[in-house]
Amino acid sequence: MVFDSTSPFTPSSSRVVVQAEKVNKFFGSLHVLKDVDLTVSKNEVVVIIGPSGSGKSTLLRCINHIEKINSGRIYVNGRLIGYYEKNGRLVEDSERNIAQQRSEIGMVFQRFNLFPHLTALENILEAPINVRKLPTEEAEAEAVKLLERVGLVEKRDKYPNQLSGGQQQRVAIARALAMKPSLMLFDEPTSALDPEMIGEVLDVMKELAHEITMIVVSHEMGFVRAAANRIIFIDEGRIIEDTTPDSLFNDPREERTRAFLSKILH
Amino acid sequence: MYHFDWAVFWQYLLPWTALANPLIRNGLVATVVVSVVAQVLGVIFGLFAALGKMSKFPPLRWIADGYIWYFRGTPLLVQMMLLFFGLGVTHIYDFPDLHLGPLLITGAIQAGTLALAVNEGAYMAEIVRAGIEAIDPGQMEAARSLGMTSGLAMRRIVLPQATKVIIPPLGNEFNNMMKTTSIMVVISSGELFFGFTQVNARIFKPFELFIAASMYYLLLTTIWSFIQARIEGSLGERKGIERGPGMFQRIFSFGGGRGVR
Repeated sequence: MVFDSTSPFTPSSSRVVVQAEKVNKFFGSLHVLKDVDLTVSKNEVVVIIGPSGSGKSTLLRCINHIEKINSGRIYVNGRLIGYYEKNGRLVEDSERNIAQQRSEIGMVFQRFNLFPHLTALENILEAPINVRKLPTEEAEAEAVKLLERVGLVEKRDKYPNQLSGGQQQRVAIARALAMKPSLMLFDEPTSALDPEMIGEVLDVMKELAHEITMIVVSHEMGFVRAAANRIIFIDEGRIIEDTTPDSLFNDPREERTRAFLSKILH
Repeated sequence: MYHFDWAVFWQYLLPWTALANPLIRNGLVATVVVSVVAQVLGVIFGLFAALGKMSKFPPLRWIADGYIWYFRGTPLLVQMMLLFFGLGVTHIYDFPDLHLGPLLITGAIQAGTLALAVNEGAYMAEIVRAGIEAIDPGQMEAARSLGMTSGLAMRRIVLPQATKVIIPPLGNEFNNMMKTTSIMVVISSGELFFGFTQVNARIFKPFELFIAASMYYLLLTTIWSFIQARIEGSLGERKGIERGPGMFQRIFSFGGGRGVR
């Protein structure tokens, strides 16, 4: 892939995984994202924090085009996500193309969203077999490896309602990884969990942080300290701070960052 | 003082004498077969109408809305006569008798089944749509974030879950369907009630005969309620859905609401 580094709309380096430019998003008259710019490079682990309703989850959902943006551009791996450009205007891409792009982006949800009619193993197999069109044996071998990795191989034939919240979320991570994504998005992955189960999910995520680009919406400061390269504070739809965890905790630029941190750090 | 003819009553109530009459025997078979075929077709029409109603493409929505609006808003009896006599008289389709091997499917049976199916489809559309909408939107999101198109996600993820929501009301629809086949009597198709009216035309014992006829419908719907309970029971065990009402409640409608497991 060749990028024109002089064009304002193309990422300047192939090491860039996500590039968002002047992204605006409205829900009706509510302006949720305001001119958001964000660049995430390969193997970076970016944590997004912010008050509820600040737009942090919406930003994440725009990156895989589960939410449509109203203006701006979002590139993932150098390709516009969800749209193509025609005479300088965005036109929504075909469903097939969007699906293909999404298949390279893993997403983990707050409420797990495992498929309740399928076992843990079948949940992981579903997309590799039906989207990547892998032969069943190959897909199954990969799925079992992923289950081993999240420590749940003995639960392979259990249905989601037979698993604890922490176990369900680990299966959900394995399910996303089965598509071999180049980017993982985590939307508050531990906020629906009982406190004693948060650790097991964060452990899996910390492991993963060594090998894949991640954008994580979460207030788990343990994870931030252990794994994040960058932390972003969003408030009222704007990126207020974009820095390293150290400098955010020790020397926040803005008063509202300080106020917010004092609330979540106790 | 009316003289109740017990001999006729027992003759047409007890299956071993009643079914000796080919009008009753063939009628019973036709009622069961027509009910099943019309219900299956109704589910298929309903599925397409529901998907059409939820489509992003406006003309499909309009067609689905129009279909549901018309067939729920007009009497089945009128629809059936319109279909059979209306299409017949215009020669759009004459409903010729079909010979399938040893089976004779009369035009009236075809028209009656089709009318029941099309009408049922309009009601099933709402049931299917409610079933789909009962599924957490997070399921669709998760499926699409894995790279599935919405069609694939609908087929592989949403519909299998919606089926479990749809099955209890579908069972009730089928119970209705078996009773509703009796209105095919107006186009003289050879189902069960037509058989009884034919016998009545010969011997004029409407009180005795129609009590006996009602007992046959009661038998069919009662057998069905047992089958339905078994189906819902096995669904509940396998996939952990809520249990339906118990047998006793189901037949006599005692107790309010859904049963507690």
